Amino acid sequence: MSTNTTPAERLRDAGLYAPGDAVLSVRDLNVRFNSENGVVHAVRGVDFDLMPGKTLGIVGESGSGKSVTSMAVMGLLPETADISGSVRFKGKELLGLSDKAMCKHRGNDIAMVFQDPLSSLTPVYTVGNQIIEALTVHNPTMSKQAKEARAVDLLRMVGIPSPKDRLKAFPHEFSGGMRQRVMIAIAIANDPRVLIADEPTTALDVTIQAQVLEVLHTAQEETGAAVVMITHDLGVVAGMADDIMVMYAGKPVETGTVEDIYYNPRMPYTLGLLGAVPRVDTATKQSLVPIEGTPPNLALPVTGCSFAARCPLVSDACLHGEPELIAVPGVEGQTLGHRAACIKSNELSNDADAHKIFHAPPKPVSKFDGVARVEREKVLELKDVKKHFPLLKGALIKRRIGTVKAVDGLSFDIREGECVSIVGESGCGKTTTLLEIMEFHPDQVGEVVIGGVSNKVATDHKTTMTMRKEMQMVFQDPTGALDPRFTVYEVLAEPLENLGMPKAAIKKRIMELMKLVGLQPDHVNRFPNQFSGGQRQRIGIARALAVNPKLVVLDEPVSALDVSVQAGVINLLDKLRAELGLSYLMVAHDLSVVRHISDRVAVMYLGKIVETGDVDDVFDNPRHPYTRALLSAIPVPDPNLERTRERIILQGDLPSPLDAPKGCNFATRCPVFAALPAAKQEKCLTLEPPLASEKDGAQDFACFFPDGEIDADMLVVHA
Amino acid sequence: MLKYLMKRSGIYLIMIFLTTSAGYFLAVSSLKPAVLEQEKIPRPTPEQVNASFRGLGLDPEKNAWERYVEWLGGIITRWDWGRSPNGAFVNAEFADRVMVSTRLFIASIILTLVIGVALGVYSAARQYKFQDRVITSYSYLVHILPAPIAYFLVQLGAISINEAVGERIFFVTGISTPGIEPGWPAFVDLVAHYAVPTFAMTIFGWAGYQIAQRQYLLDNVNADFVRTARAKGLTRNQAIRKHALRVSFIPVAQSIAFTIPAIFTGGFFAEAIFAWPGIGLWSIQAISLQDVNVATATLAYGSVIFAIGAILADFATTLVDPRVRVQ
Amino acid sequence: MTNIIDPIAEIDEARVADQDVVIGKSRIIFRRFMRNRTAVAGLFIFLALFLFSVFGGFLTSWDKDTIDPLNIGMPPSPDHLLGTTQAGIDLMALIVDGTRTSILIGLIVGGVSVLISAVYGCTMAFFGGKVDATMLFILEALIMMPAILVVAVATSGSGGLKDLPSWLLLIVVLLFFSWMGTARLVRSLSMSLMQRDYVKAAKYMGVPSRRIVWRHLVPNIGSLLVLDFTRGITGAVLAEVAFSFIGIGIKLPDVSLGVLIGQATGQVSSFPWMFWVPLTVMFLLTGSLAMMNDGLRDAFDPSSSSIGRAKRTKPQTAKVTN
Repeated sequence: MSTNTTPAERLRDAGLYAPGDAVLSVRDLNVRFNSENGVVHAVRGVDFDLMPGKTLGIVGESGSGKSVTSMAVMGLLPETADISGSVRFKGKELLGLSDKAMCKHRGNDIAMVFQDPLSSLTPVYTVGNQIIEALTVHNPTMSKQAKEARAVDLLRMVGIPSPKDRLKAFPHEFSGGMRQRVMIAIAIANDPRVLIADEPTTALDVTIQAQVLEVLHTAQEETGAAVVMITHDLGVVAGMADDIMVMYAGKPVETGTVEDIYYNPRMPYTLGLLGAVPRVDTATKQSLVPIEGTPPNLALPVTGCSFAARCPLVSDACLHGEPELIAVPGVEGQTLGHRAACIKSNELSNDADAHKIFHAPPKPVSKFDGVARVEREKVLELKDVKKHFPLLKGALIKRRIGTVKAVDGLSFDIREGECVSIVGESGCGKTTTLLEIMEFHPDQVGEVVIGGVSNKVATDHKTTMTMRKEMQMVFQDPTGALDPRFTVYEVLAEPLENLGMPKAAIKKRIMELMKLVGLQPDHVNRFPNQFSGGQRQRIGIARALAVNPKLVVLDEPVSALDVSVQAGVINLLDKLRAELGLSYLMVAHDLSVVRHISDRVAVMYLGKIVETGDVDDVFDNPRHPYTRALLSAIPVPDPNLERTRERIILQGDLPSPLDAPKGCNFATRCPVFAALPAAKQEKCLTLEPPLASEKDGAQDFACFFPDGEIDADMLVVHA
Repeated sequence: MLKYLMKRSGIYLIMIFLTTSAGYFLAVSSLKPAVLEQEKIPRPTPEQVNASFRGLGLDPEKNAWERYVEWLGGIITRWDWGRSPNGAFVNAEFADRVMVSTRLFIASIILTLVIGVALGVYSAARQYKFQDRVITSYSYLVHILPAPIAYFLVQLGAISINEAVGERIFFVTGISTPGIEPGWPAFVDLVAHYAVPTFAMTIFGWAGYQIAQRQYLLDNVNADFVRTARAKGLTRNQAIRKHALRVSFIPVAQSIAFTIPAIFTGGFFAEAIFAWPGIGLWSIQAISLQDVNVATATLAYGSVIFAIGAILADFATTLVDPRVRVQ
Repeated sequence: MTNIIDPIAEIDEARVADQDVVIGKSRIIFRRFMRNRTAVAGLFIFLALFLFSVFGGFLTSWDKDTIDPLNIGMPPSPDHLLGTTQAGIDLMALIVDGTRTSILIGLIVGGVSVLISAVYGCTMAFFGGKVDATMLFILEALIMMPAILVVAVATSGSGGLKDLPSWLLLIVVLLFFSWMGTARLVRSLSMSLMQRDYVKAAKYMGVPSRRIVWRHLVPNIGSLLVLDFTRGITGAVLAEVAFSFIGIGIKLPDVSLGVLIGQATGQVSSFPWMFWVPLTVMFLLTGSLAMMNDGLRDAFDPSSSSIGRAKRTKPQTAKVTN
């Protein structure tokens, strides 16, 4: 991309807005890093104009250069980075400024919110100290009282209760969501004109994500700042952004308004990305769009289209010369700003079907699909399982201050061929539930029945082994789940050797497994670090399948993977379930994935199931207020829907398990409870609602006032 | 906090009791002062030796357990740590020895700390530059140099300076010149005696702090919270100074307290080489004189110093790290 | 189960059969080590010293017990390559002997203390609870004891310990005080390893505990132990020199580098070779071990800080294992 204006750019300038008005204007930004493997060209020609008060969404997967772009704008890249091009703030060039000169702008004109709130605040200073520091840097004459008053205002603005007292608190006394609020308070302290948010909600739970997005929204309204929202999640920006820039391999590959991008994508990558994300709001009965392969190595020179290797529409022309980002030829009702870097963008008309183009496999059908649920055998059954931990306090002196009921009387079953998912915020007990199942032993509170054998009789090695063989696990982090010193062959051989299989049979089985999960069999002698994340997860799945289990326990199986890779793994899981007649027990925080893959779902809150049933029943007609809030918090990659949708924003974090009230656990945060007259509230506070279904009801739920009216304060619509 | 410190102190008291008891048994079973008595002229009869030792509470005819009970009883009831074979009381000499050691070490402990931490910060700020390479290589070199030899080399250097100048500028051994008049001459004499050991212990002592401080600071230079501070508008140097440095000091503060006992053991060599009659030299001399009670008393002192160091480490951590503060 | 067997899989199977993966891995480790020039130089110096200490006796016709009455306190000469002591003993013979003692002490103390710490640390981590607490208490109590005093008592005493040769006595005492730090490291490392997903995976497959320890824990702790072995040798050599220097370690008639250095301090100006030669040998010994350390860390640690270096080996890795 050159600095000379292309015809498209002139059109854009003449049409919508002149770059002179732009508060932030980036031209031909290039960033190169020296690494041991050569020069990595991380950002390759990024252009954008950010208009005052508008929101630009930069969407891309890891390694696409989106974060490096934002860091380059902020001047926060290491000195060794080679940056060229132009970054202008209100017409003033920022690139090439010294660290000192740049400091006048940083935090004052342009501010930033980072991804990981847990590590982004200095642990040894109070929150107030850190906010006041931001004020002091740019307002040295401001009085101490004025700064303190401003800090209190800021904390109040981002929704931190009793802000005056909290000024003196240290970061470790805040939850992740609260810390991200503090980060936002620091960022908007000096009324910046530009606010860059780099994956601000990725590390947070959905309910907290909704809160933080809401705070960002308020912050933008209060300050009138233009926002750059960097994310991998197409849902998060759908409702917020005015414009979108899709990045791939360090380069913008498609830009336009939200509508252009979501409803009329003209670059196969964007199209694939949109198809790769499952939807939480509709029952998809087709496979996800898989994008095969991995992004190119940016240490090597790019000769053709960087997406060519993964593109189903690739032709020879794509391999010669990288396509420019040019205006998409005018289609009726389309804005002039829509540009795509694809020589085939014409072929992708409004009704292009990503499934067809990317050859999405048909939704696989299991032999169990036709059999009624009650007629299938139970592969796993939990009967009133409980796990209570003593709660200790103090870092040096540990004293018991109570009991955490991590899992408190859980009962459910899984039948052959079905996928049951457990969902809930972190801390709700879903991971503990998995551990209770995987680490079954006779002394547990409650019964875990695996393949018809109860944990109560698992006293000898032989029984335990039969139970273990029925059930295997796939872990969240594909890297941590594989011993770095084992080759893939050794990884896969481990469970087979343990069964005492002969060597020849092991080899044969390993070759089968490699093919089964879509890996090249001749890669068995490689080490895990020679594979990409998606491939490692496939190895993890192959290991779990090695001993032919009936049930596979999936702990957040795709949350560590990029969107495009995630789709392939989900499709694989779908296929394996159908072909091998497997049952899954999945824990996931991404409700879209849950909806796509599961047959049944159980919503957990503070160690208890609050609602359970068939996934479509629960998702289409949630009865429990918590389920309703959870579902409404999930952003959907559909701008029109997202802008008009009602959202329930729960107040506060998951309460400390110690404060668990006598009646309904959820009452403290319940939006229905808040709207109830005091007389009815009494019932919620004194009686514990049982998990039961209504007459003719499809699902079980634990609430006295299902479908109740939602308190107006907790309901948000952005129109 | 107080309760916690009490609890820790209690545990350390038990440990000190155990290590000291173990030390006593080891000493009583391997140190035999009677053997040395045989070399006296006129040679005493074994009966005479036993009789004199019995009077000192060092009866060689009793078994180890009996002597232990007797010795422990003395400490508990009278705080009496026993006597040497020559009849001297351990308690009487102990305080003087501790004073000498403390005087010898205090200056170098402070210098070592300040210089080590400062150099660590300096070299971290210039990572991989010339200054960093020189400083850090030096620290690693010190690691493969045994302390007594290092001190000895410094001593040689001081001697050659004296010879080159032609008059005695530095004293390479001893604590002070006997009979020096007070006032200015006494001060000059003090400096001349202190200079060499303090210099030696300092330049060979800071290496550990330098490496630790450098590493911890480098670990924090690119931390997320430093980036946040820069995003607020602090320059890189300001952000590192205000945020990274303070956080990187947490583990250093802990290790400082823990190295106090190491300085104590290093002190044995310094006292031996520079002939300062401190607690270290005393213990070595006592052992060669087969003196059970002095050996055990100094061993107990070492354990106490260690326990104080460990408790200080806990205390230092709670002081600099709000995350472990107990509300 | 799907039974898809096709020709390609058959070929791959044949290929796998030819491979010995373990050899592949040790070869990678070896290559990574050989890539670090400093480390290789260190290895060569160490091996040279080792050979010298074993076969160095052939370099001189004298031995350490024979006095040459014609050459007393003589500087290096063709007759005595490194000169003689003031007692007329050939320094070369003494150095060969002293180096052997020092290396012996280093190797035994380094090796055995690594073993003790591995067993002790793993036991603590594996059993946890009360066993862990008790063993930790013992460990900390031992750390509290001033080692130097115990060394002094043990080697100066006239009790039962006196019957052992002084080098053996020193080894025993050094061993007693050298393993605690590593044991604590091994404990925390194995505790964190036991929380790793791949260990959990093995557990959930029903792999027996001792097999998990052997296949997952030991190799992963192994690199730490190898590093600690070289560090332990350095530590023991240094400790021997320091103790013998002030006269509480090795006692005559046994000879070690520390004894030689210590003896020479009285007459550095008149017999300088007697001081500097053993000191240089000691430096070569500890220096070569320090040089090897860095290379060993890179070679054994799959996630070492020099990922770049490790990455460059990938094409070779592929060649080795495919």
